[in-house]
Amino acid sequence: MSDAIAATALSKAFGSKLALDNVDLTVDEGSIFGFLGPNGAGKTTMLRLLTGLARPTSGSVRVLGHDVTSAGNSVRAEIGFLPDVPAFYDWMTAEQFLDFAGGLFGLRGAAQRDRIEMLLDLSGLGGVTARIGDYSRGMKQRLGIAQALINAPRLLLLDEPTSALDPIGRKEVLDMVASLRGRTTVFFSTHILGDVERVCDTVAILDRGRIVAHAPIDDLKRQYGQHKIVIQVTEGAQMLAAAIATCAWAASAAQGSHDTIEVAVSDIEAARREIPALVASQGTGLVRMEAGEMGLEEVFVELVGGARS
Amino acid sequence: MNAYLQFATKEAREIVYTWRIWVLPAIMLFFAISGPVVARFTPEIIGAVGGAGLDQLVLPSPTYLDAYSGWIKNLSQITLFAIIIIYGGIVSSELRSGTALLVLTKPVSRTAFVAVKAVVNCVFVSMLLGAGTLVTWAITAAIFGPAPPGPLWSSAAIWLVLAILFIAIMTFLSVVIGSAAGASGGGIGAFVLLSVAAIWTPLSDYSPAGLAVHAAALAAGASTPSLVWPVVTSLTVSLILVAGAAALFRRKEL
Repeated sequence: MSDAIAATALSKAFGSKLALDNVDLTVDEGSIFGFLGPNGAGKTTMLRLLTGLARPTSGSVRVLGHDVTSAGNSVRAEIGFLPDVPAFYDWMTAEQFLDFAGGLFGLRGAAQRDRIEMLLDLSGLGGVTARIGDYSRGMKQRLGIAQALINAPRLLLLDEPTSALDPIGRKEVLDMVASLRGRTTVFFSTHILGDVERVCDTVAILDRGRIVAHAPIDDLKRQYGQHKIVIQVTEGAQMLAAAIATCAWAASAAQGSHDTIEVAVSDIEAARREIPALVASQGTGLVRMEAGEMGLEEVFVELVGGARS
Repeated sequence: MNAYLQFATKEAREIVYTWRIWVLPAIMLFFAISGPVVARFTPEIIGAVGGAGLDQLVLPSPTYLDAYSGWIKNLSQITLFAIIIIYGGIVSSELRSGTALLVLTKPVSRTAFVAVKAVVNCVFVSMLLGAGTLVTWAITAAIFGPAPPGPLWSSAAIWLVLAILFIAIMTFLSVVIGSAAGASGGGIGAFVLLSVAAIWTPLSDYSPAGLAVHAAALAAGASTPSLVWPVVTSLTVSLILVAGAAALFRRKEL
């Protein structure tokens, strides 16, 4: 499988501030790639470099096999882009804007009309005759996605595509993104973890301009899931959690509902050996003890939140 | 070429569907209509304003040349100021609003983005000038009788070169200065500089500095030196400014 995106030692500085720091990143063609990071991590800067709107301070970035800084129209003809806050010509209607956008890609005639009609239906804007200036932010976001798809791009770059949408709009957008799987590579920046878990195959987590994790989602959760143990006891969960928290191998121990304790561990073998003894010493009964699976949110917090505390 | 035409069509439609269709046309139409009327009644207006103190003042009877001069004078001052203010954001307004991002991530080069804006607005101003001059000509003929076209249209053509120069200046400044107000300030500075430079005859005869003076002279029916140099240098500088704007815009981080 070829790389839709290949960034090598990519850095971008604004004055003395390093927005991206030595980023190495590859995105397989045909995948739906989640680019996660808290606000200010450098996600939008990365997208600006991928679209050629900005130039790297050092390193290189290739998109669909082209060097973005020198490829010009040849690479832009094959990508679709939705910025974080899409801005349109307020005096146009959605249909006029799609007609304009399609024309820039050289679309003409019946093919263009059919594509516009399909995208207007897809974005729920079919039959809307109001000018874009009267649209809600959600409508503009959906039009933004529609215009990004006007050229049936090989690579779709979406910057926070669901941030302005209500739950129904979000679901529709995510379903639309999921429907592109295998046909279009989708590079999807967001800070909404649930969206990434819902549609992405692979994820990279960016924090303060650095990639702190880059793996298929399942691998990432499995990797971090190995470091979490869920225990359920018959009684005295609070005291047991306090006792576990004092152990060197326990990063944290939090009491859950129904006498359960979630333990984040740094040494899984030591935890497995010592937890039964601790349960016995507290005079309580062990109902279950199992490896817990971390959600992406917990992985994210551990990787990003931990570094900030 | 398709993208050029598509973007040019958008620019033209943007003029028609937004405030742009009202401001400059309204200003030019107002002067086109009022100029000949004001010229015709200037002696009466001065007499009414001056009262008995100006009874002894004998003004020559106004002619069609006064109407022509009024038209060119208004173009060279207020209309040019309007152009400077309106086009302060010719490029930067799309960057500030964010609309440029959706265009420039499609197969439209940054050179096309800048050049098309300059060209379409030059065409727009040319059309307005043609319409305005026609109106002035017609009203002048209605008021003064015979109105020979030569002085009016030749002076309007020279003013058009000046307008093209200022659209090019504003295109350049709009790329260099992100704020429309800042670029307009720079444009007014350029206007003042050219006006001052026109005082020195060699600059007036061989550079863009002389365009306004010579346009006024043509409208008044006076003789002028050959205008080939001011026209050629103005158009050359305009091309250089737009090319420079495109080159700077290509290097700009968006």
